[in-house]
Amino acid sequence: MMRVLKINGQEKTFPDGKIPATIADLLQQLRVDAATVVAELDGQIIERANFSNTSLRAGQSIELVRFVPGG
Amino acid sequence: MTSIAEKLSCSIVGIAGLGGLGSNVAIALARAGVGRLIIADFDNIEQSNLNRQQYFIDQIGKSKVDCMIENLRRINPAVKVAGFRVKLDADNIPQVFADSDCIAECFDTASAKQMIVETVLSKMDKPIVTISGLAGYGKSNEIITRRISPRLVLIGDGSRGIDTCKTLTAARVGIAAMHQANAILELLIDEIKA
Repeated sequence: MMRVLKINGQEKTFPDGKIPATIADLLQQLRVDAATVVAELDGQIIERANFSNTSLRAGQSIELVRFVPGG
Repeated sequence: MTSIAEKLSCSIVGIAGLGGLGSNVAIALARAGVGRLIIADFDNIEQSNLNRQQYFIDQIGKSKVDCMIENLRRINPAVKVAGFRVKLDADNIPQVFADSDCIAECFDTASAKQMIVETVLSKMDKPIVTISGLAGYGKSNEIITRRISPRLVLIGDGSRGIDTCKTLTAARVGIAAMHQANAILELLIDEIKA
C-alpha cells in the first residue's frame, strides 16, 4: 500500500506509515504556521478555514506556499 | 498579429500594496506601457520607506496612492491609474481589482500575503503573482520565479523574511519586484492577451 503524498512536487513517505489526516495535521507535523500558508490540493485551492476539515489521501498532490514577511 | 505594445496598452494590472514591491512594480509596468494600473494602499510615506520605495523626500507624510499617481504621471502620462486609499481585505479585493487582468501581491506581512492569494484563487478568476523571501542582501540568484499552478506565480527565495534577516535593501527588494513585473509582462503578452 502506497503511503505517499506529493508535497511541492516531492514524494513524501511517512515513517509510521500514516498520512496526516488533514491539511492542518500535515502543517502541524511540518511545524508550519497555517496563517502563513496557501494550499492547493490536486490543483484546487483550499481556504485556510477548511484546513482542519480537508482530509488527505495517499496519492494526492499538495502545493504548500509558505509566506515570510517583507515587501 | 497583435504587437507587444498593443497587447500591453489594452492591459489592466492590479497592484495590491505600494511599498518596496508595489512602488517598483508600478513604475516598471508604466514604463513598459501597460495601459491601466489599479493601485491600492492605505498608508502614508514615512522616512524609513525611502531606502527602497520609489518616492521622494518631499513626499514624506503624504498618501502613497496620491504620490504614486503623481510619480507615474511624470514618468508616463499615457498610463491611466485608478487609486484606492483603502486597507485591502478579503471582502473588498474582488471589487477593487474586478477589472484587472492580473494582480500583483505587494504586501509586507505574511498573513496579508496569505489572505490576498487565498482570496484571489478562491473568489476570482485571474492570476496572481506573489512574493515570499526577499529580505537581506546578496544571494541575488536565489530569488527565482516559479509557476505553482495555472493562476499562481511565486517569486522569491522562499525563506529570507524581514523577521530573520532584519533588513530590507533596495537592491534585493528591487530584484524581487523586477521578477514580479517581468512575470506579469509574460502573463499578459503570452497568455492573457495572446
